[in-house]
Amino acid sequence: MTRGILGLVLRACVVLTGVALATFALLWNAPGDPALAIALARYDTVVPADVIDRVRVEAGLDGGFWAAFKGWVGPLMAGDLGRSSVTGRAVWPELAAAGSYTVPLAVAGLGIGLAISVPLAVIATRAPGGWTDRFAVALASLGAAVPAYWLGLLLILLFAVHLGWLPAMGARTRAHVILPALTLGLGVAASLTRIIRSGILEARGQQFLPALRRRGVSDRAIGRDHVVPHAAIPVVTVFGLELAFLLEGTVMVEVIFGRPGLGSFLVAAIAARDFPKVQAVVLLTALVFVVVNLLVDVVYRLIDPRIGERDA
Amino acid sequence: MLRVESVSVRRGRTMTLEDVSLSLEPGRTLAVVGESGAGKSTLIAAVLGFLRPWRGEISWAGAPVRDCAPSLVMQEPRAAFNPTLTLRRSVMEPVAARRPPPLDRMERLCRGLELTHDLLDRRPLEVSIGQAQRLGLLRALIAAPPLVLFDEPLSALDAFTQKRTARLIADLQAEEGFAALIVTHDLGYACAYADDIAVLRSGRIEELTRPKDFIASPRTAYGRKLRDAAVALGAFERAA
Amino acid sequence: MTLSVSGLGAVRSGRTILHPTSLEIASGDRIGLVGASGSGKSTLGHALIDDLRAQGRGVAHVPQSPDEALDPLRSLEFHWNEAELALKAPPDADRRKRLLSALKIAGGDLGKRPWGWSRGMQQRFVIAMALIGSPELIVLDEPTSALDPVIAADTMDLLESHLNGTGTATLLITHDLGLAARRVSRLMVMDEGRVVEAASTQDLLECPRTGAAKSLCAHRSWLAVPC
Repeated sequence: MTRGILGLVLRACVVLTGVALATFALLWNAPGDPALAIALARYDTVVPADVIDRVRVEAGLDGGFWAAFKGWVGPLMAGDLGRSSVTGRAVWPELAAAGSYTVPLAVAGLGIGLAISVPLAVIATRAPGGWTDRFAVALASLGAAVPAYWLGLLLILLFAVHLGWLPAMGARTRAHVILPALTLGLGVAASLTRIIRSGILEARGQQFLPALRRRGVSDRAIGRDHVVPHAAIPVVTVFGLELAFLLEGTVMVEVIFGRPGLGSFLVAAIAARDFPKVQAVVLLTALVFVVVNLLVDVVYRLIDPRIGERDA
Repeated sequence: MLRVESVSVRRGRTMTLEDVSLSLEPGRTLAVVGESGAGKSTLIAAVLGFLRPWRGEISWAGAPVRDCAPSLVMQEPRAAFNPTLTLRRSVMEPVAARRPPPLDRMERLCRGLELTHDLLDRRPLEVSIGQAQRLGLLRALIAAPPLVLFDEPLSALDAFTQKRTARLIADLQAEEGFAALIVTHDLGYACAYADDIAVLRSGRIEELTRPKDFIASPRTAYGRKLRDAAVALGAFERAA
Repeated sequence: MTLSVSGLGAVRSGRTILHPTSLEIASGDRIGLVGASGSGKSTLGHALIDDLRAQGRGVAHVPQSPDEALDPLRSLEFHWNEAELALKAPPDADRRKRLLSALKIAGGDLGKRPWGWSRGMQQRFVIAMALIGSPELIVLDEPTSALDPVIAADTMDLLESHLNGTGTATLLITHDLGLAARRVSRLMVMDEGRVVEAASTQDLLECPRTGAAKSLCAHRSWLAVPC
């Protein structure tokens, strides 16, 4: 078991390295002169060539790709995310601040998604093929088809403009999280509902369940000990994916609702060719993906050790 | 004839077959009897050429077995057919390239296997398991191969159908003259229809003998265990 | 104590797969229910169990294959505890040891999931679980078809010697008359959802009366051997 987990961790490290290299390379080769973009962002005006060259040296971009990459990776190994090429300030505090707006939103979105999808799926599976079931599936399909920006704007119109119950833009108070989280949550609920529903239905069809009933095991015990764990497997997969995707999906929602989170942080950094900032965000996202996948894999192994074995 | 000479097959660090030798003449039946994990399926895969033996040689008439186009009858008949094709297409597949298609032969075999025409127009999941197995036989014999391998051909059938299908296989063999290598865990079937029996255990051949001799006095303790178990399960009946 | 059921029937998609049937099983009976595939044997077995359980009698059912009896995600120990709980039997380590030893699987690791044991051992475990509540009747559905012959024969012998002297009756459901004939004293032949013939083993083998019984008898073994 530990060998398996070690293998997964190793794989995670390889992925992270690849991601770091790939993003650095992409940004490096993006159109235009990075030094020019940095200078523009720093001084807010067109500057003479020698200033640009000075900026280039300061930003560590004068020694070619590998020198620049090494210059970034070196401090990173020691835990230093570097300093912004534009402002000269440390990247981490600003990144953390942006994250403090995004993470609560993502978690709230996921929470709302679960709060909707689990009861909905359970109700739907009570009478498979019946009206509630079809209604639930239709609702889920609708939710999946609706784009986040449309839904977000609609919610703003309804709750903020018409009813005036909830605030729309910005992130001043706690209440500002509600509408964006709802937008995200409804999207998450759409995919989760269908997965949970089919997971439950499949789990109920397992061939040993009639024997358990004949042995006298109560329906409650069967549901709790034999249906739920089996249904959990596909749900865990999707859950993991959703969690990771949410952290980026929030970019769209943040733009609509004017929240200063990782989304706007990243967009501004790319425009300014602020390498350290861009790398930091990308690496963070990749890290989240990798950690979530790792956790999902570990949970799989705990539920059913056969998954991942050669002859499962 | 089929010659398997001192064949050993390796899988990782274990030997799934060790020093296995046997031979089979045209028109005769050899039953390889063993329990799960003994190496029966490995033997079939090796004979058909799906596995390369680590040591030893397998040949038919001095050439690789593949050259004589042997066929295989599998345990789970409905799983052995493509569920999207009609049985007619699946059954004719081994001779699909022949012009003209051997329809007379198919007719004759259908009659011999007690199959009606309407069955051929169905799909695999629309026929009973007994019918599916006979259709599997039809497919195996349509190209008139000199060697036919059987991997637990009767295990999925009920007792009565087993006896009936075994009879059909034997009758067809008498007519067509193919050599039959049957792998099974059913000692009763093996003794009733094979000319020779080989007992396979953990990849090795423990005994190779005639059925009559085997039942009367198995040479090894394991052989005795197999024989006694078969008696206990009602495979044999005391003659008057 | 005699177990009796009446009017057991089953209809699926409008077709009657089991015609109303009544049976009586006395204490210690060894009965075989034989018939071709699709004759309704398993259906009768299931209906019998459900009816007797509804009557509050102690019955146990051993399905054809361990896949149909055990959850691959749960350890064997979990299954055992769950079975004890379901029977409202207090957990008893001695009883567990006794039953597992009776089926020669006491040395196995119960912390493993079912697929960690060989199929033969899994099947024996299922049988041992069936014995927990000292049932009045055990229904064995095709007990040998999923097993290798040596293990199958051993398992049947072990069960028989364990049940010897207890009042537990067994109902052996199988398509193989040869198998049933060696182990039961009474035979019932099923055909197309009906019990068409019922007699003592000896009587049935010597003179079967119905067509179904006759063809089953004629083909019950592969070979007659002089021994």
